[in-house]
Amino acid sequence: MKLMEARVVIKALGLLLGASLSCASAGCATVRPEQRAVLADPTMQFDEKSMDRAALEHTLDNREGSTGGGSVRGGGCGCN
Amino acid sequence: MPRRPRARHCLGALLGLSVVLGAAPARAQVASLDLGSALFVEPSKRSGLTVVNPSATLSVKPSDWLTVQGGYEADIVSGASESVKGGKLSNVDIVTSATHFADTRHAMTGGFTVTRASTHLTGSYTYGTEHDYRSNAFAVSAGTDFLQKNTQIELSYGRGFDKVCTTAYVASDAPSSRLALDNSEGCFKDEKKRASRDINLDNFQVGWTQTWTPVFATQLVLSAALQHGFLANPYRSVVIASAGDQALENHPENRARGALGLRGKYYVKNLQTAFSAGARLYRDTWDIFGQTYELDAERYMLPWLRVLVRARYYTQTKALFWSDDYTGGEPATGPRGQYWSGDRELSPLSSYLIGARALATRQGRPGQRVLGLFLSLSGSISFDMLKTNLRDFTLGGRAPDDTLALLWSLGLRGEF
Repeated sequence: MKLMEARVVIKALGLLLGASLSCASAGCATVRPEQRAVLADPTMQFDEKSMDRAALEHTLDNREGSTGGGSVRGGGCGCN
Repeated sequence: MPRRPRARHCLGALLGLSVVLGAAPARAQVASLDLGSALFVEPSKRSGLTVVNPSATLSVKPSDWLTVQGGYEADIVSGASESVKGGKLSNVDIVTSATHFADTRHAMTGGFTVTRASTHLTGSYTYGTEHDYRSNAFAVSAGTDFLQKNTQIELSYGRGFDKVCTTAYVASDAPSSRLALDNSEGCFKDEKKRASRDINLDNFQVGWTQTWTPVFATQLVLSAALQHGFLANPYRSVVIASAGDQALENHPENRARGALGLRGKYYVKNLQTAFSAGARLYRDTWDIFGQTYELDAERYMLPWLRVLVRARYYTQTKALFWSDDYTGGEPATGPRGQYWSGDRELSPLSSYLIGARALATRQGRPGQRVLGLFLSLSGSISFDMLKTNLRDFTLGGRAPDDTLALLWSLGLRGEF
C-alpha cells in the first residue's frame, strides 16, 4: 500500500474512533446486565488467555517486522 | 547447564503446590494450573528449525481481591541459520555458511493482580536467560470499567532491561570492521573476546473495549514501543563490498514503534457462532509500514466442545536501510551506506496464516469435582500453518526454502 492510501486508512480510523467515543460517552450504547449472556461467553472475549494464542503470537513476533496492537483484556461481563 | 535443575525445582514446586491446593476442600476456585507445550517446525532441508516450548503457570487466589501468579516456560531451539547474508551479487556459499545451533531459553515469571469492584491492577516480573541473552522485564497494567460496564479501559506499561552477548569490539571501531560471534562460549563470563551490550525496552499500551449491543463488541488498542541498544543479530555478518568483505550486521541503536489495532466480535444467533474481524496498522522509525487483517469464527459443536478456525494476512514494506545486496556502491552517508542488515524481518514481505483449535471443557457439578480434584478441567489442541512470501530476500541470489512454518500446541487447564 502506498503512503497516501495509508493516510486515508488512518484518517478513516480516526473518524471512526471519534464517532465511537462520542457515541459511547453519550450513552447511546447501553447493554443492560441481564442482556450480557452472550457477551460473557468465552467465545466473545478479546483476550482469552489460551496456550495456542500465546504460542502463535510468540511465533509471529519472531518472523515479522512489526509488533504491538494486540488484544487486551476486555469484553462482555456477566457480572451485575 | 547449571540452570536446568533450578528450573525443574521451580516446576516441581508449582506442581506440588497445585496438588496441595487441589486437595483442599475449598468451595470457590482458589487456584488454576495451566500446562502446555507448543511445537514449531520449519520443514526445510537447509535450516530445519525446530522449537519446543513447554510452559506451566500456576495462579492462586488467597483472597477475593488478590491473585498471585507464577510461571515457567522454555524455548528449546535447534536448527541451522545463515551466518553470512549476501544478496544477488554476492555469490555467498549458503551451504557452508549455514551454521547449526541449539540453545534453550528459560523464562520465569511472577506477578499479582489486585481486583476491586470495577478496577484491577496487575504487576509482573519476568527473568529470561539463555547462553547469549539475559532479560529482565517489569510490567504493570491497570483497568477499569464504567458506563454500566459497557466501556472498559486498560493501560499498561512494560520496561525491559536486556543484555546480549557480542564480540568485544569498542565504540571507536568502525562498524565495517566489527566481527560477528561464531558461538556463545565465554558469554557473560568475563571472557576478553566477549562483551555484553544493553538493550532497553519501553512498551506502552492503551486498550478500549466497548459493548454496543448484546451481541456486538469492539476493541481498539494503541501500542507504542521504544527500543534502544544493540538491536542487530550478534551472529550475523553481511557482505558489504564486492570483494566479499563481511561485517557484523549493523542496525540503528534506536527504534520507535507504534501500532493501532481495531477488532470487532459479533455473535450470529442463527449460526450460534461468534465471528471476529480485526485490522492492525503498524509504523516505525525504521520506515516499516505493516498491515494485518484477521478473521476467525468460533462455535460450540457440543456443549463441552468449542472449535475455532482462523485466517490472517500480513504485509509490510521494507526498512529504510534494507537491501538484499549491499555491494552495489551505496553512498556512505546514505541509509544503506551507514547500516546493513541480513534480517528477513526487515525486508518487504507478506504472509498468510490459517489455523484451527479445538477446546474441550468439563465443569464439575456443585459439590462434585472433575476426577475428584478439579472444579473444571479443559484441554485444547491447535494447528496453524504460516506461509511467508519474501519479496526481496535471497541468500546469495537463491530464494530461501524455509518460508513455511507449522505450529502445533497442546494445552491443559485445571481449576481447583
